[in-house]
Amino acid sequence: MAELILESVGKRYRRKAVLTEVTHRFRPGLTLLTGPSGAGKSTLLRLVATAERPSAGRMAWDGGPLPSARRALRAALGYAPQAVDLPEDLTAREFAMHIAALKGLNLAAADRQFGAITDRIGLHADINNRISTFSGGMRRRLIFAQAMLGLPRLLALDEPTAELDRETAGKLGEMILERAAGAIVIMTTHLADDLAPRAAEVLRVEDGRVSSVKAGH
Amino acid sequence: MTAPAIARSSLTTSLARYSRSWGLWLLLLVAPVGARFWIPDENARTVVISVNDHAPVMTSAMLGVTLGIVITTLLLPVAFIYLRSNATRRQPWQVEEATAGSRVAIALGRFAADCTVLGAVLAAMTLAGWFIAWLVTPLASINLAQITLGLWLIAAPSLMGVAAIRILFDSFPATRGPLGEVLYFVIWMASIITPLAGAERNVSFAGNMTDFAGFVRPLTYDLPPGRENNFTIGAGKTSAPGRVDLDVMSGLLSEGYVASRFAWAALAVLVAALAGLAYRPHRPRKERRRTGPLARLLAPGAPPAALSDAPPAGPAGLPLLGLVWAEARLIAEGRLWLLLAALVAAAGILVDYRLVASPAALLLLIFGLTAHAGRSEQPGLIALTRTAPYSPTLRRAAFVAAGLGWSLLLALPAAAVHGLQPLILALATGAAAALAAILLGAWTRSAFAPRLVLLIAWYLYLSAA
Repeated sequence: MAELILESVGKRYRRKAVLTEVTHRFRPGLTLLTGPSGAGKSTLLRLVATAERPSAGRMAWDGGPLPSARRALRAALGYAPQAVDLPEDLTAREFAMHIAALKGLNLAAADRQFGAITDRIGLHADINNRISTFSGGMRRRLIFAQAMLGLPRLLALDEPTAELDRETAGKLGEMILERAAGAIVIMTTHLADDLAPRAAEVLRVEDGRVSSVKAGH
Repeated sequence: MTAPAIARSSLTTSLARYSRSWGLWLLLLVAPVGARFWIPDENARTVVISVNDHAPVMTSAMLGVTLGIVITTLLLPVAFIYLRSNATRRQPWQVEEATAGSRVAIALGRFAADCTVLGAVLAAMTLAGWFIAWLVTPLASINLAQITLGLWLIAAPSLMGVAAIRILFDSFPATRGPLGEVLYFVIWMASIITPLAGAERNVSFAGNMTDFAGFVRPLTYDLPPGRENNFTIGAGKTSAPGRVDLDVMSGLLSEGYVASRFAWAALAVLVAALAGLAYRPHRPRKERRRTGPLARLLAPGAPPAALSDAPPAGPAGLPLLGLVWAEARLIAEGRLWLLLAALVAAAGILVDYRLVASPAALLLLIFGLTAHAGRSEQPGLIALTRTAPYSPTLRRAAFVAAGLGWSLLLALPAAAVHGLQPLILALATGAAAALAAILLGAWTRSAFAPRLVLLIAWYLYLSAA
């Protein structure tokens, strides 16, 4: 069973401490991160996704300490950051194949999977269009779809439902919950109230500290 | 808000952004250090400027003129690249274009900021020039004013011109993209070739106005009339012994020259103001509806039907090969590129490979390589791809392999007819272009710099045929 452990993890940007003494054991299931803006939720997700290194503490993936287990973690990771400089002159499908290649996936199979994911979230008709023609909501769904490629055992999703209407956000929520059955899913969302009852745990991030609101496992 | 207040705000905001980018400080450091390499040493074996195959006697005035000429000829594209790919490239146009603020004031404010930054570089070069004078000219003959005058009179108007061109190109949707770089390349070439073609006529104000780079008059004024003279600007070796003593000061102060330099500076201000007047808003790039058989051929078409039960993609058998393949597909993005590639490859059978087919293939490759290098190195995308199992560094290596693959593929038909030579050329040009594209793309995080540098290299390759 996949397991991500954070032990006394901290993150500082110059003199400002953004996260302090975060200790948590993430297990398969949906973990929601809540808290006010600027509390450190996105920073925590970036640390989990290995987009940044912690300033203090230790992290371990499947029993192996980081950074030596970083490659194994990345091989199991699906990451949807809040903002991506999407390549405007590519089609959504070309972009997805770029990411699939970087994930080391079979490209033909990834293409089929991308078609299936985008079909479920209402983006399929546009995947051969250039990203420059996409609205904010379409971009958000594309960032989500690329994170779902392959079979990630760790999903770090930063506001995947922002800019989406309630119906589409609901579809994404369903997919996330399905995936959470066998993978660690850590996400921030403005729809936390809707998803909280079905989440394995809810963590509150405030003033750089993480506390459990709904304990799971 | 009044127009002067808008211009002032635009200027100070741009300057603040410049001052917070590492690029400016790097430029201020590199430019004066680089200046030392443009001035010949005592034995003058390798020089930047030679007149009738002689190195010039390095007086204070000649030193200033040399530095100025190197900037206005060889280094002008660097200034353009810097302005076009620096921190102020990204503007909040979505908000800005919805305000009632005068576009002319905004354009002039930004133009002034660009000029200030380039002026700072010139000031650093002036200090370097003073220091170099102490190294290469007799102490008693050092004239700081002549160094300064030579450098600023030649370089400042040209740099202001480049700043104006960048503001002008930022004003139109078409020239905000690759077309802007191609057009600048053409303008730069013309700015060097035009004055050379009319060198004999450059004795009046009107004649000097054909010399945007301002290098002909100071170098030719003191040469004997009616004789075929030649001069070289760039890395080269003098073939004749001894040095030629040129009175470049008289050339600088000759009839019409100073006035022409001021006129070029005024023209630059005018172009920047006109750029504000002619400004066309950004527009969201909607997919244009294309009709006709060619359009249908180039359009990507509808996506394949979605298979709702498609299983999650598993790992590739040869993931590194998959990475190279994916890079190759993205370099050749769009059916138009593939269509042109087929034409260029076929041309290799019919026409001279070195003269026509190879430059054509390289040009096509340059556009494909730089576009993909620029898009894949965007900071926000790198932040995402860095978390993938295959790192950006490995992807860059795959990019070079894919670029090389395309280069060889385009040369294959020619190789079938002409033997190995086309493949060897393709190997060299493809590897150099792919490496330069990805290194410059990764460094500048854009496609501008690699595209312009490679276009210049492409011109040299074409000229050397």
